[in-house]
Formats: sequence, C-alpha cells, structure tokens
Amino acid sequence: MQDSPSAPELLDAVAAYLFGELRESVPREERFRVLVAANLCTVVARELRAGVEPSIEDLRLFRHLSGAEEPGSSPERAPAEARRAAAELAGLIREGALDSRLEETMAALAEHVRRKLEIARPGYAE
Amino acid sequence: MPEPPDSEAVRSVLAEGGDDPGPLRLAPIPGGASREVYLVEGDTDRWVLRRDPPGAQSFAPLELEHRLLGVAADARVPVPRPLRFEPQGGAFGSPGFLMEHIAGDSLAPRLLRREEYAAARQRLGTQLATALAGIHSIDPGTVSGLEVPHGEAGLAACELWEAELDRIGEPLPAVEAGLRWLRLNPPPRSARRALVHGDFRLGNFIVDADGLAAVIDWELAHGGDPVEDIGWLMIRAWRFGNDDLPVAGVGTLESFLEAYEEAGGSRPNPQSLRWWEAMANVKWAVICARQARDHLDGVRPSHELASLGRRICEPEWDLLQVIGAG
Repeated sequence: MQDSPSAPELLDAVAAYLFGELRESVPREERFRVLVAANLCTVVARELRAGVEPSIEDLRLFRHLSGAEEPGSSPERAPAEARRAAAELAGLIREGALDSRLEETMAALAEHVRRKLEIARPGYAE
Repeated sequence: MPEPPDSEAVRSVLAEGGDDPGPLRLAPIPGGASREVYLVEGDTDRWVLRRDPPGAQSFAPLELEHRLLGVAADARVPVPRPLRFEPQGGAFGSPGFLMEHIAGDSLAPRLLRREEYAAARQRLGTQLATALAGIHSIDPGTVSGLEVPHGEAGLAACELWEAELDRIGEPLPAVEAGLRWLRLNPPPRSARRALVHGDFRLGNFIVDADGLAAVIDWELAHGGDPVEDIGWLMIRAWRFGNDDLPVAGVGTLESFLEAYEEAGGSRPNPQSLRWWEAMANVKWAVICARQARDHLDGVRPSHELASLGRRICEPEWDLLQVIGAG
C-alpha cells in the first residue's frame, strides 16, 4: 500500500501542471509536445481507474469470438491473457476461419474498440 | 540535434546553379520523421535542404522525391521547385536535395483556427481538388524508379499492411477484421493507374493567406488507384476536430469531388471511395502501431510516438463505421 494520493491522483496533478503552468512557459514550438505529455497522463489515469475490468471483458469477447473456452483465470492475469487471445483471434480472422460470421465479429469488436476509446479518447465514439 | 551539412558546400552548389548567395546559415526544421530538413538562409534568399540522416541507406527514395517534384511542377501542381540533388558523399554528405523555400504554414491547428487563414480555408478545398487532379493526371510509368504494384492496387494495399502488421507484432483483431472485409469485398476493378501522392493530407500542405501554396512530403508516392489519395485525405485524423468537414477539416466531400472533376479528375465510384476510406483507416491504425513500436524498440525514442499506441483505437472505430459494422 502507498499513502495518498493514489496513482491516478498523482497523474492528475502532473497533467494539471503540464496543461497549465508548463505549457504557458515553454517556447511555442514545444507546446504541442507538452500537450501530448499532459494528455498521456490523463489517459493513463483513466486506465488505472478502470482497472482490469476492460481486459476481463475483452478476454471474454475474444475467446467467445474465437470459439475458445470461457476464461477461468485470475483477474490480474487478464491483461496478458487478453493480448494472447487477441493475437489468436487476429490469426483466425486472417486465415478466413471467421468469414461466415465476419459481420457479427466486426460488430462485436466494435465493443472492444469502444472500451479502448473510453480510456484513450472519451467522446470519440459518440 | 544532428550535425548540419557544410554551409560552404551548400553555397557552392547554389553558386554553380546561378548567383553566389553569399554566406549561408543552416537551421534544422523539426518535424521530419525519417529525413533531415534544413532551412538554408542567405542574406536575401531562402531555400530548403532535405537529406537522409547520415548513415541511413535510402539512396533511391530521395532522388526519386527530387524527380517527383520536377514532374509535379511540370503538371502545374504547386510544389517547391526542386534544385540540385546530390548523392551519397556529395556536397550535402548524405543523399539530399535543395529546393525552393515556400513561405506559409503547414500546422493543422493553426490553419484551421486562426483568423489570418479564414480566406485560405474558404478556397483550400477547391485548390486541393485541383492539385490532386493534377497529380492524378501524371502517368506513373513516366517516372523512373517509381514503385507501381502489379495487379490490383487494392489487393496490393491489403498485402502491404498485413505484412507491416506482422512485422510490428501488435495483435489488432479489429484491424484484421477490417482487412479481411476489404479482401472479401474488393472495389470494382479499376483500369486507372495514376501517380498516387500517398500522404495527401492536412499537415503536408503549405498554406498562405491565399490558400494552397505547395504540396510537400512526397516520400510515400507510388503508382496505383487515384481513389487511394481521396480516401486518405478524408479520414477523421486529418480533420483535427472539424469532424463534419471531411476534406482536411475545411470542406465537404461533394464540393471537393465537383472541383476534382472540373479539374479533370474522374469522379470515384462510391463503392470504391468507401473501400479506400476504410483502407485509409487501416493504414493509419497500422502506422500508429508502427510508430509506437519504433519508440519501444529504441529506433526513435519519443513520447509523441509512444502516445500513438493509444490512438490506434480511433481509426479502428472509424474503420468499423465506414464498413457499417459499428
């Protein structure tokens, strides 16, 4: 355990500094890079707040689409397992194994993409 | 910052081509990812020098870029007039070329928001359509060294981005599904082969108060289906927040296509345009993944490139929307 502030709260503080004070004081040509850094802090803060839940949902989705068994693993392994399941699903799609239900697969994958956007770019999918 | 080329050697190249410009100052222009770009300033004139980073092995592409600028200028496409190309070990050290300096701005947020560009924004859509029709009037077979894929341009694009995804190693099932759909639903066969700019988008246009001053960054040019350039131009990434204006965040598709036709371009079939717009989103998603990978591999450590790893989902979403699967 760490003392307060929490990790996302610390990132909020860094983001506020970068967006505010620092951006105003750097040369014009550096501002965009400061903005990118500030924005990354807000993305990572949202990612930490969301926890493993999005990975668990993605893992379930990928395995379902691949026709693999439902996951029975521990939550902390979900991000790594979701990446593996994504690779497996990507391979099946490339081979054409899901051609007969490609439209449904894409509609389901939109939910996965929406989960990524909620962290990385809220509002983009509206 | 890398060591700039020898200013006296640059001066002698300019002197050979005409008048001695006098002593020169060279200052790097940031932003070029794979090339070095320098502003060359004399007492009365300015030029731009573009060269490979010393040690990089891409001799042909910069020479090709130099040639393409000449061909484009002949077709009356607004470009910086190319001056001398120098090979490896020449006056610029590594392969590179000098070109005319075009005054103006290329940064999208400034172009889209500033009052001083209000008139330019009114004209830009039509000017881009005219310039693109000019580019597409060029027969790629006449440009030596230009890559022209055999067979269907659409299939070649699928193969290209699948191979790049494999090299990157990032699992992106939504992109794979889009690519699969693109393979299964090819656009109508197009007999047209044109010079394709390959990166025709806001950011690669120099704009002044009167609108389009030059189309730059020709390093991705190739022969192919001209609709590819229109699909790439219109993706959401290049609208910079002006989401309802698909043409570079300044114009509507319909007025662009009218101007493109007026300037001699042939109006794309809607199915073909949708296909290339979907493909453009695949391409941007893969490029984002590539840039993030370049950061991770230490090729170009940069938080800007790293951040693109969290932007892959944007073109993924648009890809599914364009296909109609969102």
